[in-house]
Amino acid sequence: MNKIIALTKKELHSYFSSPVAYIILIACLLLFNVLFFMLIEQNREVSLRDIFQVMEFMFIFIIPLLTMKLFAEEKANGTMEFLLTAPLTPSMIVLGKYFSMLIFYSLLISITGIYYFIVEYYGNPDPYSILSGYVGIWLEGALFIAIGLLTSSWTRNQIIAAMTSYLILFSLYFSISFTKYFTGFSEEFLIQLSTRSHLENFAMGIITASDVIYYLAGIVLCLVLTGLSINHRLWQ
Amino acid sequence: MSILTVEHVSKNFGALQAVDNVSFELNQGDIVGFLGKNGAGKTTLMRMITAFIAPCSGRIFIDGDDITKHSLTIRQKIGYLPETPPLYSNMTVLQYLKFAAEIKGVSAKKQTVQLAKVLEECQLAQVKHKTISTLSKGYKQRVGIAQAIIHEPKLLILDEPTSGLDPMQVQQVLALINNQKEQRTVLLSTHTLPEIEKIAQRILMIKSGQLIIDQSLQSLLKGTNQQASMNTVHENSAKDENNQAKKLSLEQIFFNHHQEPAPTSSQTPIQTPSQYVSNY
Repeated sequence: MNKIIALTKKELHSYFSSPVAYIILIACLLLFNVLFFMLIEQNREVSLRDIFQVMEFMFIFIIPLLTMKLFAEEKANGTMEFLLTAPLTPSMIVLGKYFSMLIFYSLLISITGIYYFIVEYYGNPDPYSILSGYVGIWLEGALFIAIGLLTSSWTRNQIIAAMTSYLILFSLYFSISFTKYFTGFSEEFLIQLSTRSHLENFAMGIITASDVIYYLAGIVLCLVLTGLSINHRLWQ
Repeated sequence: MSILTVEHVSKNFGALQAVDNVSFELNQGDIVGFLGKNGAGKTTLMRMITAFIAPCSGRIFIDGDDITKHSLTIRQKIGYLPETPPLYSNMTVLQYLKFAAEIKGVSAKKQTVQLAKVLEECQLAQVKHKTISTLSKGYKQRVGIAQAIIHEPKLLILDEPTSGLDPMQVQQVLALINNQKEQRTVLLSTHTLPEIEKIAQRILMIKSGQLIIDQSLQSLLKGTNQQASMNTVHENSAKDENNQAKKLSLEQIFFNHHQEPAPTSSQTPIQTPSQYVSNY
């Protein structure tokens, strides 16, 4: 566990020692704030349901930019050899990097918590649905990070890593849009595959086991595949 | 006692045979020079010893443990400096070495002592708060060696640690390596042959993936000098012969083993510019 914490700390140091992390944090918050006030102005609703859906779409663009360097940079700089010849298992390396990005993402999400107090000032929002919405957007981000981590482990080129993430994330997000071309099992499969259909429930204040399992299974699958990808490199 | 045993190890990347049936043993306290041209298979063999890549056949034991079965345990016993020092340029020297100590399992209690020890040993104390990206190449190389020894490994593997350094820095790095022989076995690849003569007790030479020399430095130089003397007996006077024997060095031995074959009649011989011009 100490080794995972050391890796997590190293990654966090790497983000915050460059201006990239601060620029991304500030840019995201500015964007979310503008969209939040536009949606409040337009809908006149004391809920955060719409902003969660907007945040979901924005994170498809933002998270690959954060995750693309996780392994690709180590490979390009030759430090991957340092990690892989140290007494670390691939799962320690994967978890160390994953947790660091999760902490960064949680920080970003938690700052938007101020939206609750803003809507509460103007009305009487349902705190439970807002809390469940935050759980949903956090789980969704955690899944996006796991996908980004996986694609970063496949290449030493950060652009390729980001583009591959975009491909997967857009496929997951828009799969529900193709249901009209399918029926039966295929239609149901596309609905269940889409991140949009799962986040919708959270945003409405409904937390179901199937939605939680969807995110957790996706995260575990991606982390296992990342570990295998590194292990394959190690013993090629 | 044998720290490293390499048994009939081979590695190929597709059609390329990078390492071909190599076997040798290293004992406690040896400093071994690992020589060979670029692309001879040195780095591949070193990467297999550090469990970074797996051999296609053969077995490697570190302190009695098979690397394929106990790769995590054996990594604890190895310190490795790749050809390009694996440094995080945005960290300070102290942050980097602390991170290296943590991931290499140095306990929190021992970390302070170990950090102070390697900073002193590698003469890094005065730059410990400097960001790695601002250091000179010589300092970077020493930081690389410091991370390799911070967990007190039994076997230290250094891949061209003097590459790209100025003569002064080469001396400093070699002195640092020489100080390690009391505590650990060192296997280092280098192209700085006159310098390796000063610190290595044994030489391994690899050519096209095959180990062609595995001898103590002393016997290698002595044996080759004798051989050279016999070969030249009919050609030179006794005085010249003695001079020739004295002049032979590791560098000459290396060149003797890596001379390119003379071009065959079907091949166009390489011409110097002046020869080329004189043809016209």
